[in-house]
Amino acid sequence: MHADPFETLADPTRRRIVEALRAGEQPVGEVVRHAGIHQSGVSRHLRILQEAGFVSVRPDGQRRLYALRAEPFRELEAWLADYRRLWDARLDRFGAALEDRRKDAGDKEPGP
Amino acid sequence: MNDTTADTAPQAAIVIERTYRAEVAELWALWTTRSGFESWWGPEGFRVEVHALDAREGGELAYDMIADAPEMVAAMKQMGQPISQGVRGHYTGLAPGQRLTLIQRIDFVPGSAPYDSKIEVEFRALGDQAHMVVTVHPHLDPLWTGRAVQGFQSQLTKLDARFGGAAPDPVRS
Repeated sequence: MHADPFETLADPTRRRIVEALRAGEQPVGEVVRHAGIHQSGVSRHLRILQEAGFVSVRPDGQRRLYALRAEPFRELEAWLADYRRLWDARLDRFGAALEDRRKDAGDKEPGP
Repeated sequence: MNDTTADTAPQAAIVIERTYRAEVAELWALWTTRSGFESWWGPEGFRVEVHALDAREGGELAYDMIADAPEMVAAMKQMGQPISQGVRGHYTGLAPGQRLTLIQRIDFVPGSAPYDSKIEVEFRALGDQAHMVVTVHPHLDPLWTGRAVQGFQSQLTKLDARFGGAAPDPVRS
């Protein structure tokens, strides 16, 4: 089972690697250069990102090329959009409750 | 591979801003009084029964979240979940009429380790209106949320119709 995507991306180093990979498919050396992190650390984080499905890897001669995979980001975006809709609905009810209470308070006010 | 835990991992935040034609004190009451809280809290299709609400620093919040829409009752049964669930939390970071933070212990999600859910709310007067900013730190537990979101869709569709599909306020995440 994949790790929690939020936890995977919670690590600032991994976010830097993801940022670096936004430039496109690249070998680990390029990732190291873009992300400004030591190679041993990059390799470990690339493995974690790969295991979580965020990054794909393919051989290219002697090199291995890393790239971002769109699917988990789309899933995250869809999940957040759904979550936001739930909260929008909840705050619609908050607004309706406010109106009800105002109406009740108005009904109770003494007449002229 | 990863030393973060469900309790401490930073999470994405959803920020929702709303402006209501009301006074800040009225908004505050909906978060900090029993009747206010019960009048709106909970996902669509649920109601809540508050057992303890002490809106002071560290004050307790305890309530039952009860599925009451027939579709939701059916959905919970289908998922093998109880239709009523006790939730506990506490208030913190309170500045009356300005801001509050609600921490809730989520320990009933199947397949997910217990975690704290944090909701931060800020209020401010805006002329004769009241502005509220709600920051929610969702926890991604695919099993529960995936099913829950699916279960809520029919309810949300009805809700959209009720509110005439009005465009929501600006939201950033």
